[in-house]
Amino acid sequence: MSLLRVEELHVEVDGKPILAGIDLEVDAGEVHAVMGPNGSGKSTFANVLAGRPGYDVVRGSMRVDGEDVTELAPEERSLRGLFLAFQYPIEIPGVSNMEFLKAAVDAHALGRGEDPPSAIDFVRHAREAASRLELNPDFLKRGVNDGFSGGEKKRNEILQMLILEPRLAVLDETDSGLDIDALQVVANGINAFRGDGNAVVLVTHYQRLLNYVVPDHVHVLADGRIVHSGDRSLALELEERGYGWLGA
Amino acid sequence: MAGLALNGASLAEKLLARGPTSYAPWLDRRPHLDLIEQRALPELRAEAWRHTNIARWYETVLAGTERATRSRRVEFPGEVEVVDFADPRAAELLVLRGEEIFRLDAQPIAALNGMLLGSGVAIRVPAGTVPSPVRIVDLPAAYQRILVIVEPDARVELIEEPSSYTHRLVEAVVQPGGRLLHRRLQAASPDRECSLVAVRVQANAHYELSQLSLGGDLRRNDIVATLAGNAANVTLRGAWRLVESQHLDNQVAVHHDAPGGTSRQTFRGVADGRSRAVLNGRIEIAPGAQQSDATLNTKNLLASDTAEVYAKPELEIYANDVKCSHGATIGAIDEDAVHYFRTRGIDAPTARSLFVRGFLREAIDDVETARRLGVIQ
Ligand SMILES: Nc1ncnc2c1ncn2[C@@H]1O[C@H](COP(=O)(O)OP(=O)(O)OP(=O)(O)O)[C@@H](O)[C@H]1O
Ligand SMILES: [Mg+2]
Repeated sequence: MSLLRVEELHVEVDGKPILAGIDLEVDAGEVHAVMGPNGSGKSTFANVLAGRPGYDVVRGSMRVDGEDVTELAPEERSLRGLFLAFQYPIEIPGVSNMEFLKAAVDAHALGRGEDPPSAIDFVRHAREAASRLELNPDFLKRGVNDGFSGGEKKRNEILQMLILEPRLAVLDETDSGLDIDALQVVANGINAFRGDGNAVVLVTHYQRLLNYVVPDHVHVLADGRIVHSGDRSLALELEERGYGWLGA
Repeated sequence: MAGLALNGASLAEKLLARGPTSYAPWLDRRPHLDLIEQRALPELRAEAWRHTNIARWYETVLAGTERATRSRRVEFPGEVEVVDFADPRAAELLVLRGEEIFRLDAQPIAALNGMLLGSGVAIRVPAGTVPSPVRIVDLPAAYQRILVIVEPDARVELIEEPSSYTHRLVEAVVQPGGRLLHRRLQAASPDRECSLVAVRVQANAHYELSQLSLGGDLRRNDIVATLAGNAANVTLRGAWRLVESQHLDNQVAVHHDAPGGTSRQTFRGVADGRSRAVLNGRIEIAPGAQQSDATLNTKNLLASDTAEVYAKPELEIYANDVKCSHGATIGAIDEDAVHYFRTRGIDAPTARSLFVRGFLREAIDDVETARRLGVIQ
C-alpha cells in the first residue's frame, strides 16, 4: 500500500480552479521532487495535503496509508503523520518556539495514546535537534519565527520535522533563500530524517538541493497538473532547458 | 432596576439625605461633601463615561449592599507599618504623604469614596528597607481606601488580591529613590466596581503597575500616575481577557510634571463574547518637563464578532524637548497562525489559546499568576 495516494485531485479557491486533476503515489522510503513554474500550483498542492481551509477539494481524494484524509482537519492529518514545511512560515511573537514544539509533541503523544514526554526529556530532544541544524539553543526560547531570518525560518521548519518524525514530509521550497552552508545543513537534516518508514516530497525550483537529497522521482507541475514525471535526470534537464519544451 | 436611569444629581440628593459614614471620624469629609453638594458627580453622558454606563454603578451605590461576613485581611512583614485607616495614626500618615496626589474635581466619583468610606489601611515602608510583599487580601466594606507611603530608597511590592468593592481608592507616594511594584489582580466578578489608583513618583523613584484583569458586570479602573520629581520612572502594564457580557473600562493618565522622566505603558487585551473593553491612555507632558520620554502601546484582540473594543491614546505635550510615541491596534486572532499550529497536531481550541496567551504575554511579567487568575490558560 502506498504511503500517499492522491487521485484525480481538483481544487478550487473562491470558485477558481487551481489544481486540475493531480495523481501521485508515494511509497515509504522514497523521495519525490515536485518542480514547475511559478504559479503552477505547487504550494496549493502542498497546502491542500496539509488541510488548509479555503481550498475546496471539488473532486478526487488523498489517502495516507490507505486512509482517506480528504475531509480531515489539519491537526488530524498531522497526527496521522503528515507534515508540511511552509514556503512562508508564520511569525507568532509571544509564543516561544519551545512551548510551541512542546504543545505539538504533547498532542502527538496523546494522539498515540501515550503520556507526553517529561519537560527534561523534551528539552534534551529539542536541543539535540537544534544543534543538528546548527541552531543556537537560544533559538528555542525566541518567539515562533519572530524576527528570524529567512534561512532561520526554513531551518526551524526542518527542526519541527525532526522532532515530530512524520510519515510524510512535504517541504515547500525549504531550499529557497538558503546560503550554501545552510543548504548543506538542511540537506543533512533531511537525509538524517529519511528512512524506510517515511517519505519526502520536495517542492523546489532548483536542482541544487537535489544534489544533496537525491530524489527517486521528479515531477513537473504545470497549470495544476503533473505534466511530466521522470527520474533524477529530469531535474538536470529542466535546469538546462527550462519548462518550455514540456509544453508547460 | 427598571424605570428612569439614576443620574449624578439625583444620586447626590439621596445620599446627602442619608449623610456620610462615621468610619475614620478624623477624616475631613468636607471636600467630598462639597463636591457632591455642588452636583459635580458625572452625569450620564459625561465624556469620561462614554463607554461605561455610570447609571448602573450609581444603582449599586444607592442600593448600598454590604456583605456581612468580611474582615480586614492584610498580610505584611514586621518592618512595614500598617494601621487601620480609622486609627488616628492614619491621619498622621496622610499628612506625611504630602501634597494631594490627585485632583478630586478631576476624579469626582472619588468623593463618594470619601463620603461613604467604610474600611482602609495606611501603609508606610520605612526609608531604605526592602521588606517582603504587602498583600491586601480583603477589606471589610464597600468603600475602601489604601494609602501607601514608600519612603526614600525603600523597595516594596504591594499586591491587591482579587476582592470585591463598590469603590476602592489606592493612593501611593514613592519618595526619592524608592520603588513600588504594584500588582493588581482582578478576578471575574458579578459586581459593579470602580477603583482609582493615584500615584505620585518623586525624584529617581520608580512606580511599576502590573494589572491583570478579568471582567466584571461593570469594572472601571482609573489610573493616574504623576512623575513629580526629576528622572522619575513609571511602568504600567495591563492585560485583560473578557468573556460573555463582561465589561472593563481602563482610564489611564500619566503626567510628566518634572524633567527627565520615563514612562512606559503596555496594554494587551482580549475581548470575547459580547464583552466590552476600553483603554483610554493619556500622556500629558507639562511645560518644563524637558527630556521626558513617554510611550504608550495598546493592542487588542477581538475574539468574536460581537465584542466591542475602544482604544484611544491621547497626547498633550507642552514641552519641546521630549520623546513620545503611542500606538493602538485592534485586530482579530491570526487564523494563519492558528492553522500553522494545527498543522503541527495542535487542536484548534488549544491553538487559539496558545495564540491568545502569546498575544497577552507582552503585558504580563508573571505568567504563573496570570494563569492562576485565568487571564491566560
Ligand atoms: N488563497 C488563494 N486565493 C486566490 N488565489 C490563489 C490562492 N492560493 C493560490 N492561488 C493561486 O493559485 C495559483 C497557484 O499558486 P501556488 O502558490 O500554488 O503556486 P506555486 O506553484 O507554489 O508558485 P511559486 O513557485 O511561485 O511558489 C496562483 O495563480 C495563485 O495566485
Ligand atoms: Mg509556492
